[in-house]
Amino acid sequence: MSAATATKASGRTPFKKWCDENVGLFFLIPWIIGFLVFKVYPFASSLFYSFTDMNFFKGIHQYGIMNYVEIFTDKATTTSLLITFKYAFITVPLKLVFALFIAYILNFKIKFVNLFRTIYYIPSILGGSVAIAVLWRALFRDDGVINTLLGYMGIQGPSWLADRSWALFIICLLRVWQFGSAMVLFLAALKGVSADLYEAATIDGASKTRQFFSITVPMITPVIFYNLVTQIAQAFQEFNGPYIITGGGPRNATTLVSLLVYNYAFKSNEMGMACALAWVMFVIVCILTVIAFASQKHWVYYAD
Amino acid sequence: MKKAIALALVGAMSVGLLAGCGGGSSSSAAASSAASTEAASEATSPAEPAGATVNTTDPITLTMSWWGGDSRHEAYQNALAAFSEKYPNITVEASYGAWSGWEDKKSAQLYSNSAEDVMQVNWNWLSQYSPDGSKFVDLNQYSDIIDLTQFSQASLDACTVAGELQAVPVSMTGRIFYWNTKTFEAAGVDYPKTLDDLMAAGKAFQEKLGDDYYPLALGEYDRMILMTFYLESVYGKPWVENGELQYTAEEVATGLDFIESLEDNHVIPSIPTMNGKGIDANNSIDKSQVWIDGTYAGIFEWDSSANKYQSALADNSGFVVGDEIKFGDKANGGFSKVSMGLAITETCQHPAEAAALINFLLNEEAGASIMGSECGIPNSAAGLSIAEAADKVKPLVKEANSKVMAFVDFPLDPTYESTDLKANPGGTYADVFGGLSYDEYDSTAEAAEDLVDGIEDALASAAQ
Repeated sequence: MSAATATKASGRTPFKKWCDENVGLFFLIPWIIGFLVFKVYPFASSLFYSFTDMNFFKGIHQYGIMNYVEIFTDKATTTSLLITFKYAFITVPLKLVFALFIAYILNFKIKFVNLFRTIYYIPSILGGSVAIAVLWRALFRDDGVINTLLGYMGIQGPSWLADRSWALFIICLLRVWQFGSAMVLFLAALKGVSADLYEAATIDGASKTRQFFSITVPMITPVIFYNLVTQIAQAFQEFNGPYIITGGGPRNATTLVSLLVYNYAFKSNEMGMACALAWVMFVIVCILTVIAFASQKHWVYYAD
Repeated sequence: MKKAIALALVGAMSVGLLAGCGGGSSSSAAASSAASTEAASEATSPAEPAGATVNTTDPITLTMSWWGGDSRHEAYQNALAAFSEKYPNITVEASYGAWSGWEDKKSAQLYSNSAEDVMQVNWNWLSQYSPDGSKFVDLNQYSDIIDLTQFSQASLDACTVAGELQAVPVSMTGRIFYWNTKTFEAAGVDYPKTLDDLMAAGKAFQEKLGDDYYPLALGEYDRMILMTFYLESVYGKPWVENGELQYTAEEVATGLDFIESLEDNHVIPSIPTMNGKGIDANNSIDKSQVWIDGTYAGIFEWDSSANKYQSALADNSGFVVGDEIKFGDKANGGFSKVSMGLAITETCQHPAEAAALINFLLNEEAGASIMGSECGIPNSAAGLSIAEAADKVKPLVKEANSKVMAFVDFPLDPTYESTDLKANPGGTYADVFGGLSYDEYDSTAEAAEDLVDGIEDALASAAQ
């Protein structure tokens, strides 16, 4: 029997058969197009531009690894990388500890608990807005609220906005203050810890502190791990805080890498350098994430 | 059948997404492009240059952008409403905001060909973003619509880049001192008219009012400009001529010594002191408590900024325009420059109508009488007469501008304001003057080397 006869017999052309087998692909087309246009193309083009001296208004005149060489040899970029690491290593642990602490308190049966949960989440919604910049300046000026309060206690407050170390500290503080999203996740995790475990521990005479470190923390390590990975990625991408409050100053002490990328791209129009710096940051976040995943078998407990 | 319907739906979604992508990729500031495209399709073809006429019948939409404060926004909006009354077929969609971050946004729009049809441009944008004339229309081609005879040839030449008149100069500007005489009265001294007065005021403020009080406050860029005034006056030569810096590192070091002497004599607060008061790249002096309450009693600012600084004061009854100070004996020193211009972007679909809008705002009775001195003292002779007749020229701005123009005697190279030099943080000026004030340099000679290197790099880059 010929192929034509067989097709006629089954009533379906090869094209219709192919369509039947691959109909799922058609449903994926909108997503695939979006992925290609908004993810793959920018990724690929930024990688390409990172190996050029592309300037918005002067075009490309040179190809090579000069941007990457400059990133690791230029004082401005190496300093910015160091500041970013410092920022991440200060804010991530502080934010996790603080979020867990507040979540732990809000897990108790207290009055108006839902109101408190809402209030504690509000800073996360405010994000990096102009109002926050105004608030932070009012708090941390030389003659601001914080120094005035310290003055009442007989303490001479530092120049928060002018001193390099303190300026970075107040930017860190903004991030730690916005602990709401991590807190909500911890709260959900705390509610998932079986009451049986605490009951058994109480019968065995374990104190509340012992219960916290021997039951609560191990049981919520998957959520701690999740928060750790997401917070590391977010900390290395932090932009709003330094942009709105200090503008990267004083003396570039709060110029995190994301702000430097912005400055290269939109102030100096050096898109090649901006892309290279973004890729370096991407690789750093990838490496830290891989390390975090590799370490989880040593400290993350999955009950199932 | 179900599969066929599903496929049809998916296909429709894909087309929709693609259509969305098309719009998005062409312009992030979609409003202007969309408006222009819509207008292009429903109206006429672009007007021809040379002998072009304004279309007064077909519906046309133009887009326009500017930066400024509230009073400027209000003036522009009223003037655009008056323009629409004159040309009922033309609608102007406005985009405006504060200066902070404005250039970042506009440079990206210019690069992506999605900028507004008519732009208020900073003078150095012409050479920085359109050195070959590719971003802005040559307005000489629309001289039938824009009355260019109202502008001085020197100001038109300043806006001519690559042989093309890329913007109409709206106003000329320069720097001058403003004083809050209330604080000077409290310190028991008159406001300064000479360098000796200035130095004496520093001591008087410290002794009578305390360490927190200063007669003058200067940010990094202000220090650079004051140093340029000083050096030009002392050495009698322009800062940059024919694309070359006219000063050696040794000469520049004397200028930096001068700035340091102002700090040492309590004339100006150090940059760390100002940062501590919340004054930095994001927060200008007029927004600080120390300016509002008179703790800092003077500034060295653009002549068009008088009202902004005056209105910020809690008690502004003592706010006066000071006199320019002559620092040396070779020349007065100092420079004036085109404050801003109005330009038509190359992507504009209706350049003739855009030209009519520019002429309306700068030269015509109905427009210039509303704009007044909101963008500085009008450079257009007709515009200035109209604004004065309408009593819309602010006396403070007029006084400041008159004093500046009568004093300064050197031109300015547009590279002086290039982003590589002027950006804060990251620019050469901020790096050098901030570093000096933060005691990061061992000597002014070392700082001068850095400043000269940065400027020569910027000049070389501009020459490419």
